[in-house]
Amino acid sequence: MTVSENIQIAAERSPALVRRISPKTVLYAALSTLVVVFCIVPFILVIVISFGRKVDGAGWVWDLTFDNYQRFFVGVLWPDEVTFLYLQQLGNSFYFAVIASVLAVLTALPFTLLLTRLKRSAQAIWLVFILASLSMSEVFIVMGWDILLSNNSGLPKLFQVTGFTQWLKDVGWFQTLRDIGLANPRNVKFKPSGFATILTMSYLVWPYAVILLYPAFSRLDPSLAEAARTMGANRWTVIRTVTLPAIRLPLMGTTLLLFVFLLGSYVSVSVFATPDKQTTAVAIYSNIRGSNLDAPFGSAQAVILLISASVCLCFGHLLNSKAEAR
Amino acid sequence: MPDLILSGVSKSFGSTRAVETTDLTFAEGQLTALLGPSGCGKTTLLRMLAGLENPTRGTIRLGHEDITDLPAHKRKFGMVFQSFALFPHYTVRENVAYSLIIGGTAKPEALEKAQTLLDTVQLSSFGDRRIGELSGGQRQRVAIARALAQEPKVFLLDEPMSALDAKLREEMQVELRLLQQRLGITTIVVTHDQREAMTMADTIVVMSNGRVEQVAPPKQIYHRPANSFVADFIGKANFFDGVYSDGSVQIGKLALDISANFAAGSPVRLAIRPESICLVTEPGQNCIDAEISFVRDLGPVKEYHLRSDIGPMIAEHAGTDGMDLMAGEKTLVHLPADTLRVYPQTAA
Repeated sequence: MTVSENIQIAAERSPALVRRISPKTVLYAALSTLVVVFCIVPFILVIVISFGRKVDGAGWVWDLTFDNYQRFFVGVLWPDEVTFLYLQQLGNSFYFAVIASVLAVLTALPFTLLLTRLKRSAQAIWLVFILASLSMSEVFIVMGWDILLSNNSGLPKLFQVTGFTQWLKDVGWFQTLRDIGLANPRNVKFKPSGFATILTMSYLVWPYAVILLYPAFSRLDPSLAEAARTMGANRWTVIRTVTLPAIRLPLMGTTLLLFVFLLGSYVSVSVFATPDKQTTAVAIYSNIRGSNLDAPFGSAQAVILLISASVCLCFGHLLNSKAEAR
Repeated sequence: MPDLILSGVSKSFGSTRAVETTDLTFAEGQLTALLGPSGCGKTTLLRMLAGLENPTRGTIRLGHEDITDLPAHKRKFGMVFQSFALFPHYTVRENVAYSLIIGGTAKPEALEKAQTLLDTVQLSSFGDRRIGELSGGQRQRVAIARALAQEPKVFLLDEPMSALDAKLREEMQVELRLLQQRLGITTIVVTHDQREAMTMADTIVVMSNGRVEQVAPPKQIYHRPANSFVADFIGKANFFDGVYSDGSVQIGKLALDISANFAAGSPVRLAIRPESICLVTEPGQNCIDAEISFVRDLGPVKEYHLRSDIGPMIAEHAGTDGMDLMAGEKTLVHLPADTLRVYPQTAA
């Protein structure tokens, strides 16, 4: 008896079963399997590995130890000594992500507002341009900024050649730049610095900010602002009392999304940040793929970063819900 | 409060002329309706009055004060928008108090005055509600209260009833008119609904293609339309084209006597309201034969669709006049000379 004959007999015996396994069901099952294999399994693996144990001079072994989490919070020398190096790195992650995301949203805000006031054709051109810029990878962008801010061939050199550096010295602002770490005795310098790190991170997510804010701004009823104007509000009052409150939720949502995205930013931090300002994302890479080769601890750091991001998202969602309820 | 005067005002958007050169005076304390079909320039005109658009040419004066270049926020004109434009992030009371708060009034005082205004528009218990919790009619009342909070010199309303259902619209027309009369505020309402304009306005400005076609009280607009556009736009009218000759208009083989004078041989257009056409049994002046093609019983009135030698026409009779003609019957139609309006065809 051939296979097809077997299937035919089975189908005749249980027609209901054949009817139930439709091509749609098969497709759903295949897609679900793909999601599980490529999205959920890696996550589970990271969580499981975070409870593993590094073997000195070798790799790591499966285990069920909380040492990695303990090390993250109180340091490797605990209980003899308590160090907060990894918590500090997490703090740096938050510091850069918060400032860069807020800066990106603040600068994207007026741009998007102006964008929605352009003609439809002009809006389309700008949006295509911004969407196209999203195709550039973080590595490519950071490389561009690395050249732009480099001491020997970028802006500092340009400032020196054009006499701008000398002008800064003459007016007395150079010392201020030195005080905040943006100049050496001879010239301005942008890297390594928190300034360059934040600038690059903001630049990295700026197109996302515009794309995320654009729908909210374009949906904003222009008669709201006009109504406020007829009631005696000048332009600034309109923005303060009508425009910003009306887009408060998308604004918070965008900032939160960019913040979570920037928590995992790696290349910008590793190129521009000073060694004492390295973040958890950089530390994770060092542990998993870099020189440390401590995958369990790297995984524990990744899990903590993930939980931190989730807590922030939940907190943001809670704030949004409260704001909506009000 | 002084009159609002437009002198030679026009507005163009690029090569498109939205409002032709216009001279208008909005009398103090009166309600004026800007009436016309969509795209006739009435909203643009209102927006120029509000300061939301700058006129391409001409001047706008409030009494002797030239306010042409005065920005919207310095005019103190209250405006109700078609969408009401209520701020969704504020409560009803905060919406009404908005102009007072940004104007420097202390918040408790502003909220107290807002409550008084809410009492005026019969929304006393709605002050703490969100805008999303209100019906269309309630939103409109809030928008009116909000616009009146700053005690405006002029009150502007852009199609304020268009978002309401038919029954509520009629109620609000009466309410708005009563409120305006009580406050005695100069009010300008944009509408494309002639019934709304007839109900509320002291004066109607009929507009078409950016031009003012006629400015007159509602009765005059209806009974003495300045041209065939106004006759057609305001209410229903039957039109017949003919040639003027010695006190009558020749339409085909028939001549109808009229009470107007034109140059002999001028092509003219006759207009008559359906309710002015009488169905009679005895022949006489301006009586013509007609056949009933369709009868529509609308309750208070009956509408007779007629075929005649001068063309099709519609006659309206009170439903209680006892006349009971059926489709297919022949009748005599009387077109009284004093109800026939005559316009030169070039102006049509």
